[in-house]
Amino acid sequence: MKNFKIAEPKSIEQVSGLLSKGGEKVSLMAGGTDMLSEIKEGVAEPDLVVDLSAMKELPFIRKNRDGMHIGAMTTLADLASDPAIRSDYPGLYEAALSVGTPQLRNVGTVGGNLCQRPRCWYYRDAKFLCRKKGGSQCFATRGRNKYHAIFGGGICHIVYPSDLAPMLIALDAKVVVVAPGGEKVLPLSEFYTLPSKNVRRENILNPNEFLREIRIPPPKKGERSTYMKLKERGTWDFALVSAAVKATAGGNSFNDVKIVLGGVAPIPWRLEKVEQGVMKKKLSESMIKETAGAALQEARPMEENRYKVALVEALLVRSLLSIA
Amino acid sequence: MKEHEIVDDLNLAYLEEARGKKAQGKDVPAEAGEDFKLIGQPTARIDGRLIVTGRAKFTNDLTLMNMLHAKILRSPFASAEIVSMDLSQAQNLPGVKAVIKLKEGRVKYEGEQVAAVAAISEKTAEEALQLIKVDYKILPHVVRPEKAVEEGAPQIHDSANVEKFNEYSRGDVDKGFAEAEVVLERTYKTAVEIHQTAETHASIAKLDEDRLTVWDSTQAAFSVRDGLARTLGIPTSKVRVIKTYMGGGFGSKLGLNEHTVVAARLAKETGRPVKIVLNRRENSLCVGNRPSTSITIKGGAKKDGTLVCLSMKNYTCGGVGRGDRCSEPLIDIYKCPNVKVEEYTVYTNTGASRPTRAPGHVQGTFALEGFLDELADELGLDPLELRRKNYSSANQGETGIPYSSKGLNKCYELGAAKIGWERRNKKPGEGGGKIRRGLGVASQIWWGAGVPGTLADIKIHRDGSVEVICGTQDIGCGTRTYIATIAAETLGLKPEDIAVKIGDTVYPWAPSSGGSQTTPSVAPAVRDAALKAAERLKQLVSTTLNIPASRIVLAGKKLFDKENPDVSVTFQDAAKELRREAVFHGERSDLPAGFAYNSFGAHFAEVEVDTETGQIRVAKVVAVHDVGRVINRLTAESQVVGGITQGVSTALFEERLIDDNTGQMVNPNLQGYKISTSMDIPEIVPIFVDLIDPRINNLGTKGLGEPPRIPISAAVANAVYNAIGIHLREIPMTPDKVLKALQGKEANS
Ligand SMILES: Cc1cc2nc3c(=O)[nH]c(=O)nc-3n(C[C@H](O)[C@H](O)[C@H](O)COP(=O)(O)OP(=O)(O)OC[C@H]3O[C@@H](n4cnc5c(N)ncnc54)[C@H](O)[C@@H]3O)c2cc1C
Repeated sequence: MKNFKIAEPKSIEQVSGLLSKGGEKVSLMAGGTDMLSEIKEGVAEPDLVVDLSAMKELPFIRKNRDGMHIGAMTTLADLASDPAIRSDYPGLYEAALSVGTPQLRNVGTVGGNLCQRPRCWYYRDAKFLCRKKGGSQCFATRGRNKYHAIFGGGICHIVYPSDLAPMLIALDAKVVVVAPGGEKVLPLSEFYTLPSKNVRRENILNPNEFLREIRIPPPKKGERSTYMKLKERGTWDFALVSAAVKATAGGNSFNDVKIVLGGVAPIPWRLEKVEQGVMKKKLSESMIKETAGAALQEARPMEENRYKVALVEALLVRSLLSIA
Repeated sequence: MKEHEIVDDLNLAYLEEARGKKAQGKDVPAEAGEDFKLIGQPTARIDGRLIVTGRAKFTNDLTLMNMLHAKILRSPFASAEIVSMDLSQAQNLPGVKAVIKLKEGRVKYEGEQVAAVAAISEKTAEEALQLIKVDYKILPHVVRPEKAVEEGAPQIHDSANVEKFNEYSRGDVDKGFAEAEVVLERTYKTAVEIHQTAETHASIAKLDEDRLTVWDSTQAAFSVRDGLARTLGIPTSKVRVIKTYMGGGFGSKLGLNEHTVVAARLAKETGRPVKIVLNRRENSLCVGNRPSTSITIKGGAKKDGTLVCLSMKNYTCGGVGRGDRCSEPLIDIYKCPNVKVEEYTVYTNTGASRPTRAPGHVQGTFALEGFLDELADELGLDPLELRRKNYSSANQGETGIPYSSKGLNKCYELGAAKIGWERRNKKPGEGGGKIRRGLGVASQIWWGAGVPGTLADIKIHRDGSVEVICGTQDIGCGTRTYIATIAAETLGLKPEDIAVKIGDTVYPWAPSSGGSQTTPSVAPAVRDAALKAAERLKQLVSTTLNIPASRIVLAGKKLFDKENPDVSVTFQDAAKELRREAVFHGERSDLPAGFAYNSFGAHFAEVEVDTETGQIRVAKVVAVHDVGRVINRLTAESQVVGGITQGVSTALFEERLIDDNTGQMVNPNLQGYKISTSMDIPEIVPIFVDLIDPRINNLGTKGLGEPPRIPISAAVANAVYNAIGIHLREIPMTPDKVLKALQGKEANS
């Protein structure tokens, strides 16, 4: 581990100032549950760590007319124990509660969860100089790829590990980004980028920008949501595959449905084909399977991760039927 | 079933005889333990508070004056030639006190030690490692045993990559197969498992003149001492090894480790104490692992389930080290006249194996017990019935010497009742639905008779305080507590009245804590010393009280006349009669010849399998063990819970994963190498059959270190088989494998 300086800004302006200084490698730290392990493993070697924990204005959950506003420094534990979140967005409550362990949720934040780095074991180990770290190959392609992507891989087969991201995208959340010149508000679905765009990063943030807040539109009448996560073990495990579903039901079919998968691609993976296929139709197991089967034709599994295709199918059936 | 119970009754008869005598008011030998008040009861750990409040000192907690910190540079490559090594830059870093070369020529696995540094802080030592310049020429490697056996594979050692290391045969298997009415052949595989001790390895070495003192997180203080003396060329008498508290070993701390030698060498080089603590990565790469296996069993039986022949071929891979001998359960546990075994080790460019809690038996039992379940299905028999049908009362499958005691039938009986064995699918996989339930059983055999010659002293001070002194080590199993309990029981005191001094080679000799040896070695030695002390006190008090010594009883911190309890002296006053501090030497006696001494057990597991996601949940495990007399029921149950937790973990999750292309491990950490969490642990019901062995030692107790680890993975796999009708024949049974097997079944049907 390399030595680094640490700064504890108290305002948004100070954060922006520190990120824009240039000349040295800067890392933002929220709860630190993810980034400290990157430093310890020698994967990240910042000169300066900007610790957001003294930012009094960043942890908040506020219900406004235009929906729910959640500050980047809100802990996952606070998110999961907020009664309004639980009643308005049950899927988000489930997603927050599915992250890691109680200890991690007490410290880990919403901003950190959405900006966390991938968990690919090649990326996370300094001894493998992979594309994401500036090398020239993806070791997973012909290596150990049991936990890797079945969609959208190509030059790099990480899966995006966040449990909140798929659910928030399904809920049509927007993200507020602070840039030196001011704020940008954009749909979270446009926040994440595929390796083909920039293999070194997972989102659109420039080094001098950071995520301030998440905004979720108010739930529509009859809106339901759920987050289902398949893990190998009972807790303290990232998703093998997860499914975030939001739908508004009318009669015994969905008027409108959004499905985003976790654990299958370098970004949260939307399944528009399946959304189209199941909308306004009477839901049944066989009908979902049939629709899913068609969409899963596009999957590109490798040697050790073919089983994820079956997991997606099972999860789609279960999640859709659970809120039908 | 009657015929099988003869062996079990052996001990019941012994006990009943004692109980009968007691009922008639006759004297019962102390060994019968009929009057025990503490032994056999649950006793809380005497050091429990210290440990859970963080006050117990582990090796890593110790800091000596002037102490340096050492780090080891390790090969990043699975196979390479060290062309050159330049230490000068590291040597010149301020704060660095010594840099030594540990390797020249060829490195054969990732993590092999190359050089070491001692510096004033861990951080400086780490920095110095970065400054050591090693020029490697990378050589071809092979990390997968299936590839290592192929023609033209890179050769690991001077000899071939495949080497036969064990053979066994009795009867005539060919004749057996000719007689058999049903023959089955199956291959079972187990992955490489890492000893994930909570506390990683740590040593501190200190040299005073020519005397070396080493603090080590070890299961084997005496063997570390002897190993250091041998390796460093100094007399054993000048080496002392101290072991304080430790957080697990499971075999990876069973004997001298390379890094401990490095610490001693650096202490010599610098003239200062040197501490070395390994990290999780090193723990994963270079202090041992459980060898993988691929075991093929071919067996034949009569239609009624009588086994007529078993043959086994084992290909086991322990990296640059040896594979495990896995045939013992197959050779021993079931009655079978014709047996043939061949075992081969396969070498690869990976870290060397090390004994891992029940080496060989875990893998061998997984194969054998899986095979029996598949055979039972083929025969249309209840798997438990098949096991009872081939029950043996003598070892080597009834062809050897009789077991001194064997409570396995009792284990079957109690376990089947407790789990509700009749609820199993009569035909594997016959239940419907997405979530399938199943029950499975597996039997266990292990040694664990203890080591004759183990020594323990009891010292009684003139103020009546008592010490037990023994060089054994408490590796987390509660050794301190039962030592106090046995001394207290025998001397009529309370466990907290006894000061227990262990974990130091200046104390009387005790064996390594591995192989379930500690309790059956140490407990009898302590008991022996305590009985001698009690006898002496009785003699002294008999004069004072003017009654025969034989009438004196020690209890309630008093010595009194059992016929007239008011006639008494306090233990403290009795101790004064000793006149000076007195030491009583205890020794674990010899094992009577002509008998086999083994422990037995049976695990019953209940699982749920999600046939759409491949997820397995172990719902319940009933674990019934025959370990002779239980000394401390609380820590014995903890031992069972620990074994099952580990076994469920390897059945479902644990696997060392290596990237074939680079030869490097991808999960040398606890994120990628998954161990079970509290959410994965089933309801566990430990049961002991309490059959006191009449000969094994003065307490009739057998070891319990490995037994609960042995049958559990097999029982879980058999339960999965019962649930879905497919035996996966491979652990860990992760969702990808379960789904693949289910899809294969669908395709076939
Ligand atoms: C053992 C373990 C298990 C885990 N399991 C899960 C799991 O099951 N599901 C899951 O989703 N995650 C999991 N995580 C990942 C992660 O640690 C948590 O999800 C947590 O929410 C991260 O938040 P943090 O505040 O600690 O982030 P940090 O570690 O502080 O930051 C993470 C990254 O985000 C950046 N960052 C932080 N805040 C901002 C911001 N406001 N703007 C821009 N960039 C920012 C940091 O620079 C850093 O690169 C796990 C982590 C560990 C160590």
